[in-house]
Amino acid sequence: MIRAALKTSLPILFGFVPLGIAFGLLFQELNYPWYFASLMGVIVYAGAAQFMAIGLLAAGVGLVEIAMSTFLLNSRHMFYGIAFLESFGSWNLKKFYLIFGLTDETYALMTSINIPKDLNKKSYFFFITLFAQSYWVLGCTIGALSSEILSFNTDGMEFAATALFVVLLIEQWIMVKRLLPFVVGFFSSFIALMFFIEHMLLVAIMISIGSILFFRLINKSHYE
Amino acid sequence: MNEIEYLFAAMIVMALSTYLTRLTPFLLFSPGKENTKLNFVVKNTPPMVMTILVIYMLKEVDYLSTEIFYTLLALAVTVGLQVLKRNALLSIVSGTIVYMFFVQM
Repeated sequence: MIRAALKTSLPILFGFVPLGIAFGLLFQELNYPWYFASLMGVIVYAGAAQFMAIGLLAAGVGLVEIAMSTFLLNSRHMFYGIAFLESFGSWNLKKFYLIFGLTDETYALMTSINIPKDLNKKSYFFFITLFAQSYWVLGCTIGALSSEILSFNTDGMEFAATALFVVLLIEQWIMVKRLLPFVVGFFSSFIALMFFIEHMLLVAIMISIGSILFFRLINKSHYE
Repeated sequence: MNEIEYLFAAMIVMALSTYLTRLTPFLLFSPGKENTKLNFVVKNTPPMVMTILVIYMLKEVDYLSTEIFYTLLALAVTVGLQVLKRNALLSIVSGTIVYMFFVQM
């Protein structure tokens, strides 16, 4: 079980470690001890929000503003949990952790994989989430520690995150095999990019869900 | 508040805000209840979100420089390998190596 989950989670390693390193390097410019970068990966665990926080912390903005900016930036996650209402099961510590660890990458991975039938889904997801966060914390730590002694040129490594989403997009296509949601996602992205580039992700997700519900409404029998 | 206290307070506030966004659907909807509209959204959101995430990642590519050339090449390697071999790790690592090679050249 643990080995299978580790293997499934490995694609996230290549996305999270370089991103975490980039975060750690930038975070060190604030001149806090290195382990605060790791700590942030442990208790906050939100990629984009952590990058944003560097600017906010440097400017010394108030806590209310930090709370609101973080909430807005991460509000796309509100749409992620609906995919796991069943599979995260009943309320226990494992479920609280699974919800805590629901990032873009774990959401993308866990909605795209087929789980071996003999394995407990919730535990499988739990280990994937745990490994994914470990990669993130590892990246943050390496970045913060190596801000002065980094010898390996990581330029371009951020492409791993793009490649991960491309791979998962292909897997979604193999699973879903209907053009409509992909087309809706495509056009929603462009509308969001044109008018709301600051909050592109959130706006695109809202437009796409609104549009797909509209398609269902006008052609109810076809989509059920 | 000294610097360290400020950082701690900021982290706690960020952690709570982030957790709240991830927790919301679990508070709003209870599982098991047959809700065809919600099921419809659940089924269609992953392919839509994946499409959006890919476009989001590519939105900063400069279409007027050589960046577009090696980005497309790295994407082609990733897509080609994934379609042929269905090995996520292989596709991601190969595409990333191609991309890094050109960025660092």
